Amino acid sequence: MRTSFRWLLLPALWLLILSGPALGEPAAPIGSSLDPFGGTSINRRSGSTLSKSQPSVWEVEGLDSSACYQPPDLPVLVAQSSKPSLKEEELELEEKLDTIADPLEPVNRIFFHVNDKLYFWALKPLASGYNAVVPEDLRLGVKNFFSNLTTPIRLVNCLLQANFKGAGNETIRLLLNSTLGLGGFLDPAKTELRIEKRDEDFGQTLGFWGIGPAFYIEWPILGASSLRDTFGYAGDLLLDPKTYLIQSAPVGLAIRTYDQVNETSLRIGEYEDFKKSTLDPYIAKREAYHQNRKHKIKNR
Amino acid sequence: MNRTFLIQAMLCLSFTFGMVAPGFAGDPQDQLRETTDKVLSVLSDLDLKSPSKAKERRERIQKIVDERFDWEEMARRSLARHWPQRTPEEKREFVPLFKALLERVYADKVEGYSWNKILYEGETIDGDYAAIKVKIFTAKDQTLHVEYRTLKKGNHWLVYDFSVEGVGLVNNYRTQFNEIILKSSYQELVKRLKTKSAQN
Repeated sequence: MRTSFRWLLLPALWLLILSGPALGEPAAPIGSSLDPFGGTSINRRSGSTLSKSQPSVWEVEGLDSSACYQPPDLPVLVAQSSKPSLKEEELELEEKLDTIADPLEPVNRIFFHVNDKLYFWALKPLASGYNAVVPEDLRLGVKNFFSNLTTPIRLVNCLLQANFKGAGNETIRLLLNSTLGLGGFLDPAKTELRIEKRDEDFGQTLGFWGIGPAFYIEWPILGASSLRDTFGYAGDLLLDPKTYLIQSAPVGLAIRTYDQVNETSLRIGEYEDFKKSTLDPYIAKREAYHQNRKHKIKNR
Repeated sequence: MNRTFLIQAMLCLSFTFGMVAPGFAGDPQDQLRETTDKVLSVLSDLDLKSPSKAKERRERIQKIVDERFDWEEMARRSLARHWPQRTPEEKREFVPLFKALLERVYADKVEGYSWNKILYEGETIDGDYAAIKVKIFTAKDQTLHVEYRTLKKGNHWLVYDFSVEGVGLVNNYRTQFNEIILKSSYQELVKRLKTKSAQN
């Protein structure tokens, strides 16, 4: 695994040299991204708890937002940078609505309704029953296990976005969590080394390459997506070991359903609250999806 | 795909009540931190934990939040281009309705939440505007990137918007409000807001 990873790195490194300046990225984050450990390590300098008002000193290295990150006592004057200033950004936002095209809205709304009913009539009762029987720690373990299994998706997509720091982190996480983490049920990479998961997928890679979402699609069962992210999802399936390990379609479906039920059991009540807070839950969901995807693509 | 952003959109709203509250002098981030600590201290106050004190506790949290939360600015930005078309009476009616929508739904959310850690990642100041980045680690292993937008009024940096994992509150409501007003009317929007308040 180690060796093959190095081989993967070589052409990718070459890609970086070629594409680095063209991407218009500042040199520092890319340079630091070569350090696979640098990614998400957070060094806590002084012991502090939330309730204490004394300023806690944290040192954060290589955050996604590292380009504009400054220690708290050094306010950044954004006006001096090439980015639009906060003020300009706000004024611009007031003028236009940043929404996603939705030519399929009538169909999407039907499927939104279907998914809504699926949640309340099938998924939620299943997850609630499961929730009552299985302790939370075990359910978190199951979640970690499934997440560990899909490492190839995140690893390959980090590489496709020339994010070697992320790829390195994912490799370390896979090796560590599969062994010390008892096959992925535990997450010592995060809990002990503070190496966090890089949430990357092929839809984000396509976005990073400059492809827009095109338009919104609400898929039955799968939920919110866009034309771009639907292709992305197909790509992710090709990188998902479950696709190859499980030959029988009903078993595969059962396992994916179980994954979903387990995940839902950790989130009961959240969708309900979301609906309560919205005047048009369909629009709210669509826009939240759009904004969240944009955010994820930006923070690779 | 579906789940994650819903959660985020939700938490986006729910964290308001814990995170935002008044501050005194100082940088936007310090004020935010100070008020967060205030809310957290109310939440961890053992005297207020009993069910009989639930109402008092909620009121105290709401008061901390209310003092420096710029509800009108938030409502104005959410209505965006429809705001200037409203009469002063309509505006006076709208702001409390909008505030109630957010408050009633999420007050219990923040009370039920346990935060493992809050990490302040720094602030960006541009004149009277400031953005503060915060990372929240929840008990259920989630890491949330939150960004607050504040506007300086006097000595206070008042929060008028925030986003969680890129999902902005004002932007989301702006789209909803716009669609409802364009497809039906402003009166329909107010009607829906009132119905929501009654339901919750």
